[in-house]
Amino acid sequence: MRKSLILSLAVSLLVGLSAPRADSQEKPRYGGILNWYVYADPGRLDIHAESPLSVQQALAGIYSGLLHYDPDDPTKIVGDLAERWTVSPDGKTYTFHLRKGVKWHDGQPFSAADVKTTFDRVLNPNFQSPRCGSMLKPLVSSVEIVDAHTVQFQLKFPAAPFISSVASAWCRVAARHILEKYGDLTKPEAQIGTGPFKFKRYERDSVIEWEKNKDYFISGLPYLDGVKQFVLKGVPTQVAAAKAGRIMLWDTWPPMKKTEADEVKRTRGDEVETFQASLNTIFLIYMHTQKPPFNNPDLRRAVNLAIDRQELVTKTLEGAGVPCALLDPKLVGDFALPLAEVNKLPGCRQPKDADIAEAKRLVEKHYPNGVDVEAAVRSVGGYIDRAQLVLAQLRKIGIRGTIKTYESAAGFAVYGKGDFTFMATQDRAMVTADPGDVFALIYTTEAGSNWGKWSDRKVDELTDRGLKEPNREKRKQIYHELQRYILTQDTTAVPVGWVEGWFFRDKRVRNYKASPTVYDHNTFMKVWLAP
Amino acid sequence: MANRADLALRMTRDAGIEPARAVGGARGVLHALGRFAVRQPLGAIGGLIVLVLVATAIFAPQLAPHGAKDTAFTQYLPPSIEFPMGTDQIGRDVLSRVIWGARLSLYVGLVSVAFGITLGALWGVITAYFGGLADGASQRVVDVLMALPPIILALSLMAALGQSVNNVILALAILLTPTAARTLRSVALSIKETPYVEAARAAGCSHWRIIFRHLLPNSFATYIVLFTVNISYAIVVEAALSFLGLGVPPDEPSWGGMLTAGTQAMETAPWMVFFPGLAISLTVFGLNLLGDAIRDLTDPRLRGGLG
Repeated sequence: MRKSLILSLAVSLLVGLSAPRADSQEKPRYGGILNWYVYADPGRLDIHAESPLSVQQALAGIYSGLLHYDPDDPTKIVGDLAERWTVSPDGKTYTFHLRKGVKWHDGQPFSAADVKTTFDRVLNPNFQSPRCGSMLKPLVSSVEIVDAHTVQFQLKFPAAPFISSVASAWCRVAARHILEKYGDLTKPEAQIGTGPFKFKRYERDSVIEWEKNKDYFISGLPYLDGVKQFVLKGVPTQVAAAKAGRIMLWDTWPPMKKTEADEVKRTRGDEVETFQASLNTIFLIYMHTQKPPFNNPDLRRAVNLAIDRQELVTKTLEGAGVPCALLDPKLVGDFALPLAEVNKLPGCRQPKDADIAEAKRLVEKHYPNGVDVEAAVRSVGGYIDRAQLVLAQLRKIGIRGTIKTYESAAGFAVYGKGDFTFMATQDRAMVTADPGDVFALIYTTEAGSNWGKWSDRKVDELTDRGLKEPNREKRKQIYHELQRYILTQDTTAVPVGWVEGWFFRDKRVRNYKASPTVYDHNTFMKVWLAP
Repeated sequence: MANRADLALRMTRDAGIEPARAVGGARGVLHALGRFAVRQPLGAIGGLIVLVLVATAIFAPQLAPHGAKDTAFTQYLPPSIEFPMGTDQIGRDVLSRVIWGARLSLYVGLVSVAFGITLGALWGVITAYFGGLADGASQRVVDVLMALPPIILALSLMAALGQSVNNVILALAILLTPTAARTLRSVALSIKETPYVEAARAAGCSHWRIIFRHLLPNSFATYIVLFTVNISYAIVVEAALSFLGLGVPPDEPSWGGMLTAGTQAMETAPWMVFFPGLAISLTVFGLNLLGDAIRDLTDPRLRGGLG
């Protein structure tokens, strides 16, 4: 009797000692499908030519880049297809040494020729590449093959942002033989990459499925058998899916509002954790500078003055955001103008009576009876609510807007063609954490998201100088001058604020790490599912 | 030509209503209303609700404390003295939007039904009269339109036309035309065979004179019934389209559109769903009761046909 008691005590002690400990000590398990969602149907799947998050999400795990943000620590850049890289002493030549033995998903071997074809395509002045191209075209003059596993980039000048740009999720490497066969990467059949997952299935408006790449060049990865992204349109649908446990992760745009996150936590309880995060995404209002009425700088200035950014952030983001700032101090540190200064500028300062009166005067000067405007808005995220509030604010100064809604991909097509007068709201997510990003993406003449076709020489000059300036303090001064200039001009894209929000993660999803941008933590290369 | 006064007398007697005595002016109207209320109490309740609806729609600018698109207030405020129906997700007064919504619903309902039923009636009567190939062909068109589920047809039309109040009216009118055409056609066919129409033809009346002096006036009862019954249908379809996001633009105070925003915040702000939903339900209830009563009044005439 006593013997068995001691034995059972010993056994239970052993069991207790070997019980699973904290998350970080657990051994990753293989298997399982991660259920995720995307906010709209991506439509055209060309990673080099498109700009919406929905496209990048759909393809994230399929492709590899030369470099990428470390899945274990997404603030660091490490090699992906490149094992290592070197820089010439003058800072203008980057040499990438590529991994050997990498295969495309269709079995073809990967080589330097694929890299050259990819970047020749992106850098081609006749090729519209609003993301990768926008960032690299000002920096890179050519890409050359040294040998089958070595590639060299010649820069136009020693550019600080080059490495973070080439590591971005938009600058993925595509296969030469696929580009030759299909001409572009728009179709599902052309989604052949070297990434941890293969593109298994794409049912429009329904689901995008990835399956494990068994021949991935890092043996032992990925852990997951696959990833499913349900196309869930509209916040109520998305929140309902979260509450029902149909999705395991909500980590990216569009963010939940606090009230919605609380609802999810109430329903799912201990199975999930909810958290607030910044999205490195800016909320903008666009005006077309070449069409009436906004070809008139007075009208643009009026809109800049009249928009109540604080009200928009309070009501449509439930306070989760940074109003007025063109650069967010939380994201880029002291490169951003201090918020105290920004909040005193016309357009941002409260109360708004003086600014609204001035805006009204500017409108009445040209349109004594007010003016009617069509406001385009994509029906995604919380955009419809934002649009209604923006139009209510503009009604005060005599601009009467009617809302015209578009499906997500259709809206981007319209914006790209310039077929709009006024865009009530459109977010733009930054691709890197570099302070120059927002200007290169939105405000320069060549910027990929300069849909309003604004062209200001001073902005182009200052952005260019900021790119090239190696001294940090001088660079900071340049960006401060640039922010002050844009915030007091009649700009095409009014910065309403930086978007933050609420998210949730099913606790079974392990080793998931958040990154400074919305694009760099969604390959799920090292993520695994606990039972 | 038939004596219309005699016919009218016979109509009312057949319906079981005593012909109004020649009591002057307002008192006469009140008497008639009083009699109506006694004979059709449910109809009277419906009539009252419709009266409130119409008054709200007409006097919206005076009744609504704020504008329909005025966003000056704090969001998600629960009902209170200052905001009897609370505020919505961007700080608009729900009461004001419900009141302005009455105007929008009634406007869309009335205009779309007026166009749709009138067009359908003309189409049905004219093709019934002329018969032959024109009649056959147009009835096949009506068949096709009636085979499509109405909401699907409306959604497709709105997707093609784009969102605006006028396009909703157009889409609803297209929806309503086929049913009116078919119903009025059968009424016209039965009128066509009556002795006095034969007599009119024999006397040499032109086709159009017969259509406009005989067929149309005698189809009027059916037309009125179709009109009243379909107003509530049109209001519900407009609400459904706006709820789905393909009706009037999102900032217009459509009760259906208000329901969309309300469903997104059901746990936070249930009043956003409750009040527009109540408005739709009451309106449809009242219109249906009234429509039923009117139909009952004229039914014996329809059932028996003419003559």
